[in-house]
Formats: sequence, structure tokens, C-alpha cells
Amino acid sequence: MIRRECLELMAPLMTDQLVLSSQSGQRIEWFHLAAQHEGNLLVGMMGCATGVGMGLALALPHRRVIVLESDGSVLLSLFNLPTLGNLDLSNLTVFVFDNEVYSGSTMSEPTATAGKADLEAIARASGIDNAVTVHDIEGFKEHGLPGVTGEGLHYVVCKVEESLIHREIPRPNVDLAEYKYRFIRYIERTEGITIPFVGLG
Amino acid sequence: MEPVLAEKIVHGLKAAGIDFMTYLPESRLSQILPLLREDGTVQLVGTASEQEAITIAAGAALGGKRVACYMESTGPYVSAYSLLTVGKQMGVPILLLIGFLGSFADQRNSFLYVTIGMRMIPTLEGLGIEYRVVENAENLERHIRDAQRVSDSMRQPAALIFSGEFAR
Repeated sequence: MIRRECLELMAPLMTDQLVLSSQSGQRIEWFHLAAQHEGNLLVGMMGCATGVGMGLALALPHRRVIVLESDGSVLLSLFNLPTLGNLDLSNLTVFVFDNEVYSGSTMSEPTATAGKADLEAIARASGIDNAVTVHDIEGFKEHGLPGVTGEGLHYVVCKVEESLIHREIPRPNVDLAEYKYRFIRYIERTEGITIPFVGLG
Repeated sequence: MEPVLAEKIVHGLKAAGIDFMTYLPESRLSQILPLLREDGTVQLVGTASEQEAITIAAGAALGGKRVACYMESTGPYVSAYSLLTVGKQMGVPILLLIGFLGSFADQRNSFLYVTIGMRMIPTLEGLGIEYRVVENAENLERHIRDAQRVSDSMRQPAALIFSGEFAR
């Protein structure tokens, strides 16, 4: 299974979900596959997306928030997992595309999950009962896709082969500010609210 | 910190419209936590790291909350990465409330705190985060509202650093 296969199954299911991606290889593939989805937000650097997703899920408890993570990004912020387990947010899904390497740029060096680290086990020990690991596309359909459209807290570790497709896709020409404002305006329109800090000048 | 000071901080946060706060408790200002919990106006989220506290607060701000993040002097070091990437690079306002352990005015200063305290303001300056040091309760409500307005206007975190009477 490669990451893009999973993302291709997810993209047609987008309705009003809020989808955050960390700064890892999947963000290039996702923003290419689901470029028109206004609920996409790029969180600038690795290690921050799950936290931002938790805050968003707390602020908008009736909206499904999906976070696209990588093993490298999650390993950078493992302190998120006990907090996530204790908050037990019923509207949050975290997909971790675990290819066991740092491959976002031009090098491929192993991460800790290439060794003994088991992200599902860490998540479960942190109180995330609905943590699963999927190894193939059938497993992703069964255990991963319910996190796109269903309810509850989902933590789905997707063991994927390293794929270098993202290195071939042209990188989006949208910067963080443009993503942010497009995302905020989408929330304002779909929620009927005004985000306080982007109010009138 | 005298209980009345904690009450004034809580009053100031509510007056500034803060309705969401992440925190990692410490030893100078934590009396605000039971007061906030009892009041219920501000949604409280305890965290395991100040870096996480910043990211969760940022997510809530993007979802429409007016947010604060409470930490001690070590917080700016631990959260420097997320302050820069989520706070400044993406541009999300967060009111930082920092207990100034290790400052000149810290009445409980010791070798444990002083090194961290002395380099905290230079760290904020290095990160380009605007701040104001608050020594006493005079005009406290206005200070909190001013800092919140600066943070919103800049679309960036801004800090209130609590020293003096607050650091006893």
C-alpha cells in the first residue's frame, strides 16, 4: 500500500470536513488530489498539525476534523497523544502515514518506527482506545475510511511503502497565509460566524 | 500570589473576551485555574507541553475562539518552535500569560529558576514577540485588553509577563 492510494479513496468523500496536513510528503499529494476542497489547511511545519487539529475540534465540536500526519511529524510531538487520549474528542480523526522514513525532501533516512517504536501501541497506552494499524488497502477501507465520514475519535496508523510520487508533483503555489484565510472564510461561511481576529479593520 | 490578584486576572481575561485557554500549570499564577474552572466562561485545556499548548490554542483561534495560553518562564523556550511556525509564520493571535519565575522581582527566586528567567525576555525578543511586564494590579484589566488587542491586530502571539506582586 502506498499513501496516495489511501488519499485517492478519501478525496471523493470530502463534504464539509476540515482537513489539516502537516508539512510532510502527504501534503503535496493531498493538496494535489483535493485542491478544490476549501476545508484544507496546511500547518506549516512538522509536529504541529495534531495540536492544531485538537484545538479546532474543541472549538467546533460538531465538525469532523481530519489530520493528515506522518511518522516523522508525530514522533516530533509525542506529547500530543496523552492529551488526545484524555480529551477523547468525538469529532477528530488522525491518519498517520507511516512509511518509516524521513522522505519529504531528497533523502530517505529511517525514523524510529523503522525500529521498535509502535505508534498504535503508544496511542493505546495514551488512552486512545480506537487506535488501529492498517497494512493494506482493504484494511484502510475497513478501518480508515470510517474516520473520514463517521463519528468518534479515530487514530489510524497506515503502514505504507515509501513512495516518491510527491517529489514529482509540482508543489502548490499557495502560501500559509492564503491557506489560512481561505480556510477561515470557509469556516465563517459554513458556520455563519465571524472569526474574531479577522474582523473589521 | 494574593487571591485578590488571581481574581483580577480572571476578571481581566473575561473582560477581554477570552473564552479558551490552554495551560501548563506552574507555581506563581496557578491560583487562576480553580477560579476559571469554577466560573466556566473560559474553556480550559491542560496540556503536556507548552509547544502543544500553543498549537491547540492556535487551532481554537482558527475555529473562532479568542484564546490565551498560560505558562511559566520555561514556556517560551519549549514552545519557541510552534510560536514561530503556527503563531508567527501562519499568523494566529494568542495572548500569552507568562509567570516570570527567575526574574529580579521573583520573591521565590533560586538557582533553579534564575538562569531560565534571565534569558526569557531576550528569547521573546529573538522570536519577535511583543510583550509587556506587569508588576502589580494597577490597570491590570486594561493591560490584558491592550495585549489581546495587539495580538489580534498583529495576527500574532503577544505576551503579558507577570512579575512583582504576582511572583510571590
